[in-house]
Amino acid sequence: MNAVDLQEVFFGYHQKPLLCDFRLSITAGEWLGIVGPNGAGKSTLLKLIANILQPWSGNIMIFDRNLKELSRREIARLIAYVPQESHFAFEWKVEDIVMMGRHPYLRPFVRPAPLDWKAVNEAMELTGVISYRYKGMNELSAGERQRVIIARALAQETDILLLDEATSHLDLYHRTEILRLLHKLSSRKKTVVSVVHDLNEAFSYCSRVAFMKAGSLVSCVNPEGMVDSGLIIRTFGITPVIAHHPVTGRPQFFLPGADRTTGQ
Amino acid sequence: MRVKTVIGWLFLWGVLVSGALLSVLTGPGGFHLSEIGSFLYFRLPRMAIGIIAGGVLALVGCSLQGIMRNPLVDPWTLGVASGAAFGVSLAVVTGAQGSLVLPVSAITGAALAIGFVYLLAGSGINLTVTRLVLSGVIVNFFFSSVVMLMLILRRHTLGEAVYLMMGNLGVVYTAKAFWLLVGCGIVVVLGCGWLFFHSRELDIISLNEETAFSLGIDAAKMIRMTFLVGSVVVGLVVAWTGAISFVGLVVPHMVRMLFGPRHSLVLPGSFVLGAGLLLYADVLVRNLAPSGLPLSVVTALVGVPFFIYLLRKSQ
Repeated sequence: MNAVDLQEVFFGYHQKPLLCDFRLSITAGEWLGIVGPNGAGKSTLLKLIANILQPWSGNIMIFDRNLKELSRREIARLIAYVPQESHFAFEWKVEDIVMMGRHPYLRPFVRPAPLDWKAVNEAMELTGVISYRYKGMNELSAGERQRVIIARALAQETDILLLDEATSHLDLYHRTEILRLLHKLSSRKKTVVSVVHDLNEAFSYCSRVAFMKAGSLVSCVNPEGMVDSGLIIRTFGITPVIAHHPVTGRPQFFLPGADRTTGQ
Repeated sequence: MRVKTVIGWLFLWGVLVSGALLSVLTGPGGFHLSEIGSFLYFRLPRMAIGIIAGGVLALVGCSLQGIMRNPLVDPWTLGVASGAAFGVSLAVVTGAQGSLVLPVSAITGAALAIGFVYLLAGSGINLTVTRLVLSGVIVNFFFSSVVMLMLILRRHTLGEAVYLMMGNLGVVYTAKAFWLLVGCGIVVVLGCGWLFFHSRELDIISLNEETAFSLGIDAAKMIRMTFLVGSVVVGLVVAWTGAISFVGLVVPHMVRMLFGPRHSLVLPGSFVLGAGLLLYADVLVRNLAPSGLPLSVVTALVGVPFFIYLLRKSQ
């Protein structure tokens, strides 16, 4: 069964179309990385799947159920979304933020049940934030904050996890930690869809990589196979140097580099 | 409940109860047991209005700060207060008589302002927080300047109008006015109840709209409704008391210092503290200047230093 199925989706901003007749199927349990230049519609695609934006026309199926026919609460129990960056105007504690992930299961004025606390504690454990559960969000580093946001998404207990450039603002250490965590999740049968800034990151970790440009899908490739440099040229407009990862054997990409002979 | 929360609540209720006692027991004429009936007749309603006005301003201020993710927002951003002031000054300038004239014209003015704000902000999905705030500010400027113009043209009414517009709890009680007041009170309580009922939604929207959507909340609708409910409720209060400044801005901060940012605690906490502080301000005004001093003079004198302290702290 497909976790997500986009069928003839049309969408744009301010009457200007961006995605036209967009089709994409995402298999349950896979980790799909989405790459492409700025303005390609990667984040828009994610927001359409998360029901933050609604398509002009076409259908988005989640486990064979139409997104339009599900309530917001039901959708929030199927799909979790991690935004690019979060700011906190007020002094929230880590635990409070993670508990917000239980909102689709909570009723007004009813205190969180033991089941909710169990989900919150497990999510904090898995992301390694449990040791600072009582700290304020504004006391944390960017990497720690991003893990808390992922913990919130996990507390939602959804089958699908969407991430919009979740690692872009992080240093190498925190980036690797989060990618490891996502790998662990995807091996536990969670369907992960992440917009990835860095091609090498996508090819090192994802199980499938989708190339997008100007609102359309250029191609989907298996990161364990060969990559045609024409695909990179068509999508990003640069000619990369392609080599293979010395450990995983997967393709990796290098910038052309300045030409030493001309001294530039 | 944690110890800190319990102590916080004790403090808040202490402020409110002591304020209420002072409000009934002090004032021009002191307090005599023999005339308890007439004291209660004049001072109890005044106390009740003080509690509702202070509570509502603080609670709405708190909700608005939440949905706008900005701790420096206050109920005047809605633009509704200036509409009420417009209604009042129109009534004063034209010299209309009758116990219902002032509240009815103020409520009409407030409704007019709400209508203008929504007209300007547009409707449907385009109604974003920024557009609502901008429209509120513009409507505020518009009505303020019209009020100024009217008062300058009828200079002899200036004093009375300013007194009415800048906050006082003295309402003319007649049977008709009483029932109108009770009606407004019921709407106000329902509005506050609605905001309180949506505490968790406000918590999540105070992070960002996308997160709210992805957690199953229609953030756009929630923001629109908070704005509308806040406008109606503040409009009804301001229609009776005039625009009392700083309560809606400063009180939520004080309560967040006690309780943290959770709306299920901060909203009721703000109501209690706002009510208590406004009663204290009213007690001060009545005992220091029995002839009449706008409440905003006192609330601002206390509020400004606290606000400066907050600004310094946030840097």
